[in-house]
Amino acid sequence: MEIIPAVAGNKTNINSAEFIKLTIYNDVNNPTDISVYTFSSSYKEETINFQTYSPMGGLLAVGIQQRDIRVTSADTSLMLSGISGDNIYVVLANKIRGSRIDITRGFYNNQFVLTSTAHRFTGIVTSYNISEERHDLVDNYTVTLNASSFRYVLENRIAGRKTNKESWQSFYPNDGSLNNLYSISDQQFDFGMAVTKTTVTGSTASTDASQVGTNQARNEQP
Amino acid sequence: MAGLQTIIDSCNGIKINRRNVVGIQYTRNEIPRVSQTPTTNAWKITLDMPNSFRYSEARALLEELDTLDTTTPQEVTFGNNPNLRWIWAYQGGLSTNQLNTLNVSSYVGNQLVLNGLPAVASSRLLFKKNDLIQIKGHPYPFTTENDVLRGTGGTVTITTSRPNIMTTNVAGIGLNVGTNCIFNFFCPNMPVYKLVVGGYQKASNVVQNNALIEFSDSFLLYEFTGEA
Repeated sequence: MEIIPAVAGNKTNINSAEFIKLTIYNDVNNPTDISVYTFSSSYKEETINFQTYSPMGGLLAVGIQQRDIRVTSADTSLMLSGISGDNIYVVLANKIRGSRIDITRGFYNNQFVLTSTAHRFTGIVTSYNISEERHDLVDNYTVTLNASSFRYVLENRIAGRKTNKESWQSFYPNDGSLNNLYSISDQQFDFGMAVTKTTVTGSTASTDASQVGTNQARNEQP
Repeated sequence: MAGLQTIIDSCNGIKINRRNVVGIQYTRNEIPRVSQTPTTNAWKITLDMPNSFRYSEARALLEELDTLDTTTPQEVTFGNNPNLRWIWAYQGGLSTNQLNTLNVSSYVGNQLVLNGLPAVASSRLLFKKNDLIQIKGHPYPFTTENDVLRGTGGTVTITTSRPNIMTTNVAGIGLNVGTNCIFNFFCPNMPVYKLVVGGYQKASNVVQNNALIEFSDSFLLYEFTGEA
């Protein structure tokens, strides 16, 4: 378990700010083609891990981040000001879904100097929302980014392979272990007795083999 | 005269809000747990205006307020009106000339270090707790957290009410103190006004049409720190 010195020791007063780093991947084939936006709820610019976080980024609120003893896959949200700045533009003009979000909490001492940081959340943007709320003459635009933690993303990952020729040879192109799978698919073997079933057509066998493989692959998933 | 300055000079009530952004949670055994965000801690002042303004005298003010609207900041001071100078009067023991020699050595977080100290007794009070101070040319005043004595060193350190929110280098710059400080306010709730029958005046023995001004609300002045 990570011990955060700034909050250890039963402290009664904590002075902290949230620091958000939004990494947008502009090209799926080029992971180095990125746009990075940083903002914070602090009163001035701060540099954390060589990244400068602007206090004027329009950060309105950061959703809760569930903290458990074991690793959790809870979601969180970020609310950004839609007034001025380029937050609406960032959301609409970029490939915001799938962007990486890092949330860090910075702790200040009594002299308002940043003394330590603790990483709180790493995840990807799964959806966004732009809302306008108008009361009398007051118009509020809010951009909300919803993010899922990396653990949740990994939970949804499809892994394993099917037990058919194509899937097998996508991993081992020269391995012919399952080349004859279709011919024995959907066959009933009465071991020790005379064969009574007849062979089914090839197309049906192929389809059935695929389904058998799919079922087996499901069973093999971690 | 500037619109918001006229409001300050003419108001009949001032409410000052300098509270920090904090969250407090009380535990089962009633121990408070406080979580604070280091914000710019902007000044928020609410001014109540009398309904005694005659339209004939206040027309320029109303047009100025209409121009300012709810967004435009304006620099104001409490030293403009002799009747208000006592509010932020300097409480320390230095003369005006001695105050003018003070300048900033460094300002990190809420620790303001001053140079240019006068040759006075080490026990002389430079600033009393809650004295208003400002870096010249930067209309973002703050107050001292403690009494500050001259001491014997070449510098003194002042703990200020809020951290340094200025983005430019302030080393070597002098100070404004007390009523000389300037605030940069805008009025996000800029009240609307109503012309009420009354306030008649005679001119050349003829009664002139006039009206009394009634503002819809108090003026909430909010410090503009967006370009500090």
